[in-house]
Amino acid sequence: MHTTLDGVDTTQLLKGVLDLAVLAVLRDSDGYGYDILRRLREAGLEEVGDASVYGTLRRLFAAGFLTTYVVPSEAGPHRKYYALNAAGRDQLTRSGKTWRSFATTMDTLLDDRGMAA
Amino acid sequence: MTVTEQEITDYVERVRAALADLPPTVRDELTEDLPEHLTEVAAEADGTLVERLGEPAAYAAELRVAAGAAAPARDRRGERIDAAVRRLRARVDRLDTRLGPLLGYDSAGEFLRLLRPAWWVLRGYLAVALLGAILGGGLALLPRPFNSAILGLLLLAVAIPLSVSLGRRAHELRRRPRQLMHLGAVVLACFGLVLVGQFGGLARSNYPVEYYPVDNPYDSARDVFVYDGEGRLVRNARLFDQNGTPIRIGYPDCIDMPEDQEAAVRNGYPYCPEQAPFGPRPVPPAAPPAVGPTATADPSGTPAPTGAADPSGTPEPTGTAAPTGTPPPTGPTAEPTR
Repeated sequence: MHTTLDGVDTTQLLKGVLDLAVLAVLRDSDGYGYDILRRLREAGLEEVGDASVYGTLRRLFAAGFLTTYVVPSEAGPHRKYYALNAAGRDQLTRSGKTWRSFATTMDTLLDDRGMAA
Repeated sequence: MTVTEQEITDYVERVRAALADLPPTVRDELTEDLPEHLTEVAAEADGTLVERLGEPAAYAAELRVAAGAAAPARDRRGERIDAAVRRLRARVDRLDTRLGPLLGYDSAGEFLRLLRPAWWVLRGYLAVALLGAILGGGLALLPRPFNSAILGLLLLAVAIPLSVSLGRRAHELRRRPRQLMHLGAVVLACFGLVLVGQFGGLARSNYPVEYYPVDNPYDSARDVFVYDGEGRLVRNARLFDQNGTPIRIGYPDCIDMPEDQEAAVRNGYPYCPEQAPFGPRPVPPAAPPAVGPTATADPSGTPAPTGAADPSGTPEPTGTAAPTGTPPPTGPTAEPTR
């Protein structure tokens, strides 16, 4: 585990925002599980866990934010694509705002203490 | 190194095994396209799945956390059920404390807990009774598996102490065995009700109790003497009840004292039909006494027929007359045996 006492653990932070991150990477284009994982990692969330993303997708789907469709592929297995629906877009907007205000607050807090990034 | 199909299948199976406690539908939902996903994972890099993803159990744990409130719909339903259960429990608790004082205890539960050992004994008995019913002994108060009462007793001797000791150790059981035990209790209780119903039914159907009017005026009649319309004794009349069953009434012996009929009456019953003081010629009785008019109903139980009572002719239709009036007979056998 990455949990440590002497530092902020990225996986801990991820837990809170993984939903938002997944919704965000699906905003522009639909994706299948492994594809989404790869996009997240390419975006810099390298520590994101496979099962976490996979589980998050299942949960967002169950919550009604995503739709799925299957695309047959010539070589490999069929791929289940996830796409944002209207509820998912709303959720992305709301969560995005929450995140931005939270992040701003944190930035301000850190700036005030002279700890600018 | 390429990941084989088999490795993926194994991995998925182990993840599913680690999620075995989830409701099947939830687990299926969580893992339905896991094989495809793992195939993608396997295709993109080297190394075994375990090297890339960690142990299946760890993967399952992470999946479980990420899927978190795995299915919101189910969770809301679960919460509603929980809330309903809590309300019900609170209501039962209130009832519990309210009923307790009526029984002289703080709560009804406290009283019922005292009855637990009785239930353990009953449970052992019911288990054997059920076994007996299944093994062909039918429903019986004493279980008779394979129609053997001895086997039934032996089983009872084993099952009841077993049930008691199970009762004393129930708190040590883990969840699954305990659930099984509760399920068994429900089954046995239902069977017990069937058993009670069955015995109730038996009592009603096999042992009919007939009620006679308490004021039956003939309760005290111990013999019957039949006379015809002329006041003549009808010998060896045969009497039948409303079901056609011969009425055997009267004392098989009598004291023969032809000279003194008065004495016969004084001496009391039994006396012979000829001695019956109720209607001999000299004093044809306009109204023979009470039970009166009939000749002994074949006290000896001789099957041979004789003068059947002629219902129409009987001076007093005291319901005694035989419905099947056998035509008067040549009664060779006839006389009551002395």
